[in-house]
Amino acid sequence: MPRRASGGTLAIGSGSAYANDRLAPAAAMADSGRVSYIGFDCLAERTMALAHVRRRRNPASGQDERIRRLLPLLRGYLAAGGRVVGNFGAANPDAAAADFVEGLRALGLAGVRLGVIRGDDVLDLVLAQDAELPELGTTVAALGDRIVSANAYIGAEPIVDCLREDAQIVLGGRLADPSLFVGPICHELGWSLDDWEAVGHATLVGHLLECGVHSTGGNFEDPPYRVVPDPHRLGFPLAEVSEDSAVVTKLDGTGGAVDERTMKTQLYYEIHDPRTYLTPDVTADFSQVRVEDLGGDRVRLSGATGREWPATLKVLVGVDQGYRATGEISYGGPGCLERARRAEEILRAHLDELLDPGDHVRIDLQGMNSLFGDKEGTAYPEEVRLRLAVRTESEELARDAAHEVELLYFGPAGGGGVVTSVVPALGVTPAYVPRELVTLETEVVTS
Amino acid sequence: MKLREIAYSRSGDKGDVSNICVFVDDPADYPLLVERLTADRVRAHFGGLVEGDVVRYELPNVHGLNFVLDRALGGGVSMTLRVDPHGKSFQSHVLDMEV
Repeated sequence: MPRRASGGTLAIGSGSAYANDRLAPAAAMADSGRVSYIGFDCLAERTMALAHVRRRRNPASGQDERIRRLLPLLRGYLAAGGRVVGNFGAANPDAAAADFVEGLRALGLAGVRLGVIRGDDVLDLVLAQDAELPELGTTVAALGDRIVSANAYIGAEPIVDCLREDAQIVLGGRLADPSLFVGPICHELGWSLDDWEAVGHATLVGHLLECGVHSTGGNFEDPPYRVVPDPHRLGFPLAEVSEDSAVVTKLDGTGGAVDERTMKTQLYYEIHDPRTYLTPDVTADFSQVRVEDLGGDRVRLSGATGREWPATLKVLVGVDQGYRATGEISYGGPGCLERARRAEEILRAHLDELLDPGDHVRIDLQGMNSLFGDKEGTAYPEEVRLRLAVRTESEELARDAAHEVELLYFGPAGGGGVVTSVVPALGVTPAYVPRELVTLETEVVTS
Repeated sequence: MKLREIAYSRSGDKGDVSNICVFVDDPADYPLLVERLTADRVRAHFGGLVEGDVVRYELPNVHGLNFVLDRALGGGVSMTLRVDPHGKSFQSHVLDMEV
């Protein structure tokens, strides 16, 4: 039996790039009739942490918060048999599944099969293994009860398992972004998940779709050098995938562009060594990818390949870091820089008394040095905005620190426009666990 | 000449690592890019923003370079107190370099 069936093509679209993405382009994709699968990436490193913050406050939450609003927009697509794969589960896949079942029934869509993937929550495993935290230079045990969550990046295998059981919707927690597309592509085109070259090719497609408008003109424009049409209504990308190549395009009538430049910038986005892009599915090799602009918002990509999957799975470990306070105040006109620097001195004097020695304090002057640090030869600004950021264990101290910025109304002359905030600081940091120790479970439920 | 006049870029984040890929508009400029945009020069341009190494990968197929900046995000997107925790603005900072 050939491991890779030949001749087939699959059209698959992007429906979301992160937890708070727009819904309208997903609705347009669903209504287009162009695709039989839509992949929804709902997560990023930071959104996963925020989902855990929500679940800690309310154990019934922690899933994607858009499901109830999204489902009515997909009604026609789902009624016609269109399939959806997404990491809607975030920190709570069962809560996401419950939202889906309820929402489908409310739309009169009974009998829809929904695959639920569990097992990305590996908190017990990283505790038992005392996993190393390389970016922090310590281990899980050393951080004690500050460790609040651990989610392994999960690949396409359980997605394919659900699709084989005729699930029309597949959801899980920390399903890896490209795997949301690798699963459907390999399932539909008959590619074995240990055909590393094929999985590398499918991973390239997933990589180009999972960031939504990042492939069609988002995070791209730099007038006058780079400009795309109608950037206020960028379309999500879709791909027509075949054995040797994929054509990425977007829906007719949407804004933005799919061209050589939008594709190249996304091709190496968040890639380190282009020969060695590690995902749960494969060690993908994008070093020899060819980008061919066909015109008309169509670009053909080929040449991606891959080697055996990594022996470990990457885990995002959530670390309780107390609270983060921020506060901002603006100074303008002649002498604004000197007044802002005077305000910084006042602020530091108060914070020195207020905060504990281990607390973190950062003060920037936006308009001068907040993004790239102090530079020689910077012109004197018309205005600057002082920004304080503090991380501390105590919510009360965080509030007091932010309040010190408000009190700068009584500092140097002309300070205005104070904004402050205090939020829980839940950090995420990577760890790695042997993949055979991560036990996944799939279940197909019916609406 | 500023890099911005002949090239475009995108930066991304994974943990405390930033990557910045840079591509020339005209393939004829690629040798110049490879010659002038060295890892050492990028390291110097980013100064105190980067605490770790800067590694460069050549992407001749697409006339680009990929720079990987280790310990460049003040601890990473969920840990840092920086204004731009993802280093989204790094893609613009690199284009300010003279080539």
